[in-house]
Amino acid sequence: MARPHIEPFVDRDVPFKKLTLPGFPKGMQYKMLSLDPDNGACTMTVLFEPGYKQPPGMSYSEYELFIQSGSIQIGDKVWGPGSYFFVPAGVAIEQLTSSRGATALLFFNYGEPSWVESETDHPLAERQRFRAVNSYNDLQWSSTNFYPATAPGCMVKVLAFDERTQAFTFLYCMTPNFWQDNISYHDCAEEAYHIWGTSWMMQFGDLPTGGYFYRPPYINHGAFGCKLGTLALGRTDSRLYNHFHFNPWTSLEENKERAASRVQHWMPDLYKWINTHGHNHPVDFEFAHGHAHGDTAHHHGDGQVDHVHKRKKRRRR
Amino acid sequence: MKSIAHKRSREVEAWLRKEVAEQKVRYRKIVQEQDALEPKRDKWIAEFLQRIQTRGVHVHFDQMRKVRPEEIPTKPKRKFRVVF
Repeated sequence: MARPHIEPFVDRDVPFKKLTLPGFPKGMQYKMLSLDPDNGACTMTVLFEPGYKQPPGMSYSEYELFIQSGSIQIGDKVWGPGSYFFVPAGVAIEQLTSSRGATALLFFNYGEPSWVESETDHPLAERQRFRAVNSYNDLQWSSTNFYPATAPGCMVKVLAFDERTQAFTFLYCMTPNFWQDNISYHDCAEEAYHIWGTSWMMQFGDLPTGGYFYRPPYINHGAFGCKLGTLALGRTDSRLYNHFHFNPWTSLEENKERAASRVQHWMPDLYKWINTHGHNHPVDFEFAHGHAHGDTAHHHGDGQVDHVHKRKKRRRR
Repeated sequence: MKSIAHKRSREVEAWLRKEVAEQKVRYRKIVQEQDALEPKRDKWIAEFLQRIQTRGVHVHFDQMRKVRPEEIPTKPKRKFRVVF
C-alpha cells in the first residue's frame, strides 16, 4: 500500500504538533500532510522555533526541504524564503540553526523521518546528488517543456530531477486568470502545496493558500482555473506525462488501460519485449542491478509484481 | 540509493501507527466533503462540456479544438468518485 489520495487538504485548518521522534532535537513542530503507511515516507509542513539548533547529521531517507518563511543557517550560510535542499540518503549536513524561526516544507521520500548525528556521510551516501539553491533569487520561470503541455500561463522552476525515475520537484505558478479546459491524469503520483494563492479544479473545487494534495496515479483532475495567481511547490515520484482528455467520468481502471494502450502503440517493440521477456526484470546498464534490494518491480513469469523475496540462508561451513 | 536500511525503534513504530490512524480520519473527512460538493461539481461539469464545444478543449499548450456534440460523453450509471 502506498500513500492514500489526500485531496484537498488545507493545513491552515490544523495546529502544529511537536516532533518528538528519536534523534530530532527539541524545537521542531509539524503538520502531517501525507504519509505512506508502509515505509513511513511523508510530507510535512514544519516550524523551526526561534533558537532551533540541530547538530550535524544525516537521514536514512532521501529528503527535501523548502523554506517558506523566516530563515535557517546551515554552517555559516543563511538561507531565506525560497531556499531548497535536496539531500540524498546518508548525506550529512552541517549544523542547522534558526535564530528567529522559520516555516518549511519537509519531504521524506522513501522512509520515515529519521535523524542521526554525524559529521560524515554514510558509506552508501550519494553526495554528488546533493543540491541547494535559492529558487526565488537564483532560478527563472520557464514554460513547461512537457509534451503535450499545460496551457499558457503555467510556468515552472525545476528544483530537482531524478535521472533514473524522472521524478522531479518544481515550483510552479499560475498567472492571474489562468485557465485550462481539459482533464488530465498521469502515470506518476503527484503532490503539491500552495505557498500562496487559490486555484480551482473541476473535481475538487478551490485549493487556497496552505492547500495540499497527494494524488496517486491515473486520477482525473481538471479543468483548471486561477483568478488571482498562485505560487506552489510540486513533486512527482516518476516521469510526468499529461494524459489529456475531456470525459469527466472515466474510472481509474479506464485511465490506466488507456495509458497502457498508449505504451503499446507508442513503443510496440518494447511493449512486446517487456511482456514476453522471461524474467521480466529489465536492467539499465547505467545503474546498479537493483534486484538485491528488491527495489525494482519484476515477476517470474507469474505476473506477481508485488512479491517479496525471502532472504536466502547462508550455509555455515 | 533512496533510503538506507535501518532498524526502526518502538517509539518510531508507535508514532507511525498514530499518524496512520489520524490520516485515516483525515481521508474520511475529505471523502465526506467531496461527496457534499457533488451538486456544484455537476454544474461545473455541465459548463465545461458546453465550453469545449464553443471555445474548445486544450490539446497542447495554446492549441485547442472544438468538440463535436456527438463526442460529448454521457454520465455513466455507476457511482461517480473523485477521491480514491
